[in-house]
Amino acid sequence: MGLLSLTVFLPVIGAALLAFLPDSNLKAIRYGALGTAVATFLASLFVYAKFDSNTYHFQMVEHIPWIERLGISYKMGVDGISIWLLVLTTFLTVISLWFSFYVDKRVKPYMIAMLILETAMLGVFTSLDMILFYTFFEASLVPMWLLISIWGGERRTYAGLKFFIYTFAGSIFMLLGMITMAYLNSKATGNWSFDIIEVQANVANGSLWQAGMHLQAWLFWAFSVAFLVKCPAFPFHTWLPDAHVEAPTAGSVILAGVLLKMGTYGFLRFVLPFFPDVLPQMVPYIMGLAVVGILYGAIVAAVQPDVKKLVAYSSVAHMGFVLLGIFSLSYTGLLGGAMQQLNHGISTGALFLLIGLIYERRHTRMFSDYGGIKAQMPIYAAIFLIVMLSSVGLPGTNGFIGEFMAMIGAFEASYNGMFGLNVAYAVLAGIGVILAAVYLLWMFQKMFYGPNNNPENQRLKDIKPWEIAMCAPLVILIFWGGFYPNTFLKPMEKSIAATRMMALNPVGQRPNWKDAQLEIGDNGNLVRNTGDQRGQETVAPANLHFTPAYAAEVATRMKVAPAIALPEETP
Amino acid sequence: MEGTASLIWIVLFLPLIGSLVQALFGGSVVAKMGAAKGKRVMGTLAVLPIAVAFAIGAFLTLQLSQQEVGARSHVVTLFDWINIASLRVPFELVVDPLSMTMVLIITGIGALIHLYATGYMADDQEYPRFFTYLNLFVASMLILVLGNNLGLMFIGWEGVGLCSYLLIGFWYRDIENAKAANKAFIVNRIGDWGLTLGMFLLFAVIVANVDKMQLPEGETRWLSYDVILPNIVRIIEAQPAIATAIALLFFVGACGKSAQFPLYFWLPDAMAGPTPVSALIHAATMVTSGIVILNRMHVIFEVSEVASAVVAMVGAFTALFAAVIAFGQTDIKKVLAYSTVSQLGFMFIGCGVGGYWTGMFHVTTHAFFKALLFLGSGAVIYAMAHNQDMRNYGNLRKYLPITFATMFIGFIAIAGLAVPPGFGFAGFYSKEAILGYALANEHASIGVLNLGYYAGVLGLLVAGLTACYMTRMTWLTFFGKEERWRAIPAVEHGHHDDHHVAHAHHAHDHGPDTHGFFYTDEELAAQPHEHEHHHELDETHTPKEVPPSMWIPLAVLAVPSAIGGFLLYRNHAFEKWLQPEPLPVLGEMSGHPEHLNLLMLSIAAAFSGLIVGLLVYRKGLPKSEGWEMGKWATWRKLAANQFGYDRFLVRSSTEGGGEVANMVWKYIDVGIIDKIVNGVGVAVSKVGMLFGAFQTGYVRSYALMMLFGVTGFLGYIVYTMIRVGGGQ
Repeated sequence: MGLLSLTVFLPVIGAALLAFLPDSNLKAIRYGALGTAVATFLASLFVYAKFDSNTYHFQMVEHIPWIERLGISYKMGVDGISIWLLVLTTFLTVISLWFSFYVDKRVKPYMIAMLILETAMLGVFTSLDMILFYTFFEASLVPMWLLISIWGGERRTYAGLKFFIYTFAGSIFMLLGMITMAYLNSKATGNWSFDIIEVQANVANGSLWQAGMHLQAWLFWAFSVAFLVKCPAFPFHTWLPDAHVEAPTAGSVILAGVLLKMGTYGFLRFVLPFFPDVLPQMVPYIMGLAVVGILYGAIVAAVQPDVKKLVAYSSVAHMGFVLLGIFSLSYTGLLGGAMQQLNHGISTGALFLLIGLIYERRHTRMFSDYGGIKAQMPIYAAIFLIVMLSSVGLPGTNGFIGEFMAMIGAFEASYNGMFGLNVAYAVLAGIGVILAAVYLLWMFQKMFYGPNNNPENQRLKDIKPWEIAMCAPLVILIFWGGFYPNTFLKPMEKSIAATRMMALNPVGQRPNWKDAQLEIGDNGNLVRNTGDQRGQETVAPANLHFTPAYAAEVATRMKVAPAIALPEETP
Repeated sequence: MEGTASLIWIVLFLPLIGSLVQALFGGSVVAKMGAAKGKRVMGTLAVLPIAVAFAIGAFLTLQLSQQEVGARSHVVTLFDWINIASLRVPFELVVDPLSMTMVLIITGIGALIHLYATGYMADDQEYPRFFTYLNLFVASMLILVLGNNLGLMFIGWEGVGLCSYLLIGFWYRDIENAKAANKAFIVNRIGDWGLTLGMFLLFAVIVANVDKMQLPEGETRWLSYDVILPNIVRIIEAQPAIATAIALLFFVGACGKSAQFPLYFWLPDAMAGPTPVSALIHAATMVTSGIVILNRMHVIFEVSEVASAVVAMVGAFTALFAAVIAFGQTDIKKVLAYSTVSQLGFMFIGCGVGGYWTGMFHVTTHAFFKALLFLGSGAVIYAMAHNQDMRNYGNLRKYLPITFATMFIGFIAIAGLAVPPGFGFAGFYSKEAILGYALANEHASIGVLNLGYYAGVLGLLVAGLTACYMTRMTWLTFFGKEERWRAIPAVEHGHHDDHHVAHAHHAHDHGPDTHGFFYTDEELAAQPHEHEHHHELDETHTPKEVPPSMWIPLAVLAVPSAIGGFLLYRNHAFEKWLQPEPLPVLGEMSGHPEHLNLLMLSIAAAFSGLIVGLLVYRKGLPKSEGWEMGKWATWRKLAANQFGYDRFLVRSSTEGGGEVANMVWKYIDVGIIDKIVNGVGVAVSKVGMLFGAFQTGYVRSYALMMLFGVTGFLGYIVYTMIRVGGGQ
């Protein structure tokens, strides 16, 4: 078992061991679960330590054939897009389980569910086989559903079911899409294959879509709907507020911090590399949904009487920025979108954690029950302020970097008229930045400022040292990401650059994960190691920035497209 | 010089470290050493970094001034902030005349205001928190002016906004203060929207024209000034519309931060913060950021006449509008706030008409006298038991001689009073320079309409109004025989509220599982209750002169307010320092209108303002301004309420916006989307019920059935699609 598989399955192993503990030994169960999460976190750090930032290819690949006749296998690996999501998942799970010491109802099954959930999430981010991916994708639903419906709030049954059906219904489309992709692969090459590397290689050389170009747009939407629901993007978002409000704190942290990222990760992993020929036509739609989501989420967040609901709707807005960056297909924007995923995981995760802390004390989430508690809880208020500002996207916090880069990218694409976009997209998205300040500052004011008139709140003590310690890593990450984002950007760059070329370049100039000689050079060009004294030859220019000339080129290609007649081998 | 220039990092890090020290150790130091001594220690630790930073800044400026004119710009880089293949944004600072001028203002006046604040805030329980924010503000402001790229500038830009937010809401127990803080932040965000879009547009234009630029190989610092500014003219001269767009977007940002119409309305509310904050942030430094950024990016404004005309006109209109409103104010800080808005308008006139250095000149002199006036007003407020209403003042020169003398110098400086050969206090020279550029040039014009000229004429009018409302303020506060607080019951206008915790006795039954979340009655009783001593303003009150920590800064600031303008104007000292060479696009500009004796005109304007003011207020508080309103009351009230502008905007955005948002939520989210979702669920289970055999009564099995149904249906569709496709 390789390091990667070990990391992924460590939580399940821990969960299995927990099952043998007596239900009454709460301490052992809690520390056992936390220990497992910490071990998994350390394992993921080992993965990161082994990770090479200089290549876009998958690393630490493990491959075990499974159902060979259908081309299904157990295949795992990490690249720049997944590496940080892996670490984010293990990190947030540690924090969540630490917080979960507050859980005192059916502790053992709770901890086991959390650990199984962790394995499922890690599996999603590492799978290189579509069926494997789908399995983990769906497997993550069950423990989260249980967390909501057993340990949740008053309307937990409704919320849990809504969450389950919504996302399941969305991913059904994806499964069908995957099967179709494998089938098309068989038409192109004679072999069924669910292997992402294999399928993408055939997309890149054009042979796969030659077998069924008319399906490309359908399949684009089949995959996209699943991920749009997961993100969630308007109008597929209504499961999120209910799920968040009813979920226990740790569930909310994981839900906002990791599960939503499965959606955007799916776009990066599947949609961009698989559907390059229809992508330019689809960009305005997804960008439109992103912009509407940004504004809509912000507007609705501004009138919520419930603090958790407010943060839930703010997630809709923030994830809109991720989509905005990704679908700008500009270099800066894509990286910004990928960065914003991490930032949202940290800052929204932290917000839910902080709300959890006060909820444990006061058992209410209503703004009307709070006010002026800064006087009683200055440290808590200070941490809350920092996290809130990160969510606002203040420069110097991590929240700014992703949002800023995504906006630059969106502006660059729309200003140059790429894909038929116009600047209205970026200008409207910018209004979302104003609105973020409106609802988040309002939230802070309602909770912390003004007179403390509620006698229940006048007796509040500040948060305890261990709770401060639990929040500290999140605060450190907020500033780290804000002042030295290169730590996070560098490992992602090559993979993002390659993914962008997979999506934007014409056949023959597209990178693939199969040919180990292909690489992204330091100047961003796609190069091939020739193996002789020439060293490298350029396969495709970087085009790091959109220009009117490049926009015209893409537009011409769109008119000519779908271009299928192509050479099998690039010269 | 390069080695010396890196000293600038120390200037930047001193206040930052100071802020951290206050935040991390302030509380425990005050607790351990006792309130009086602990506060003295922390106060010293707050002033010291700023003062040392000023000393280093002064040394650097001296070094810089001794260099050749062309070699006065040094970029020092610390590390890469954002570094990706498409964009590199280093953490780099620029040492040049513009940035160093601001550094001296920020640290110099900053140090004095910090010193003042150690006295002003001495009674406050959260002393270290105040200085945490104030030091952090200085650090952010330094980043704003020193950053060599737009990204870094934006860190500072938002950083000062944050500190402003935190300090306006410093006395957060009063919800009105918190609301004022939110308003400041949000209105500024509207400006930031423009600023960031301007930045993005500039970025997009730059990267699309890389081939037209002369750059070293591998240069990717697309947001750095030394990359943008030398190249941008060549690119946008061919596309003036783009120059106008970029310039106007930047100006939107400047309008937010520098409180220009239509975004000015946060600044008067910002007076809710402690007075040292008003002096430092909302008068001397932060609100001038807009002028600084316009000076930084002035080549773009040089290319666009239209944008320049808009800048000049908005500046002139704001100057007039705010001056009129100032007449309606009774709160001494509000008068100064509107006066700040009005003076900022002057600075924008200067920047609009092409006299960029005159804008900065007014920034400098305004920093002297407005900081002085605000600190002076703080001293008055301090002496008057935190009552800010001028209707309760009168004859204070008898009780507060030092405050009066220094504030009077500030009054002469802002009113622009001068003696005919041309000697006056600070404000006179800078205002003169701005109006000279406005009346002599034609840069700010749309078509044949020379709006810059009209802006200058308006400016002249506003100069008269300024002298008049400042006379009103000074007279009502310091002169006259009436000591009005003795005659009339004081209107409560304090900011302090009760800090004590209400001991509501009721049964607290939190059970055993509260894990020590709450204080018990015993713990609550054992807590020290530092009741603030704070008496009301009543007829027996006798104002006392403020302590030395407060009047020393006043005395120091009075010196440059008096002679600073003269020294900087003489021999074109300031002009040669800031703008030694002709402008790159506009070339040499004249600052003296030909057919006009501007000097005499502005002296006349100032004196007529003074005389009118004296005529009206000489006899004491006119009826129309008293507690019983007279015949001018309607007009005065109108001005006091900003002609309804603020009220309209705030109400329509909070109430109207809230209404709309609620409707969106209720109708779209709950009404439409969720109805459809739930409807689908119900419909599927209804279909399921047709097959009675499956009817188990569990909602989960409906869900499962629904999934099977959907899968089968979609599978069939895909199957047909593949068959059709395969048949091709």
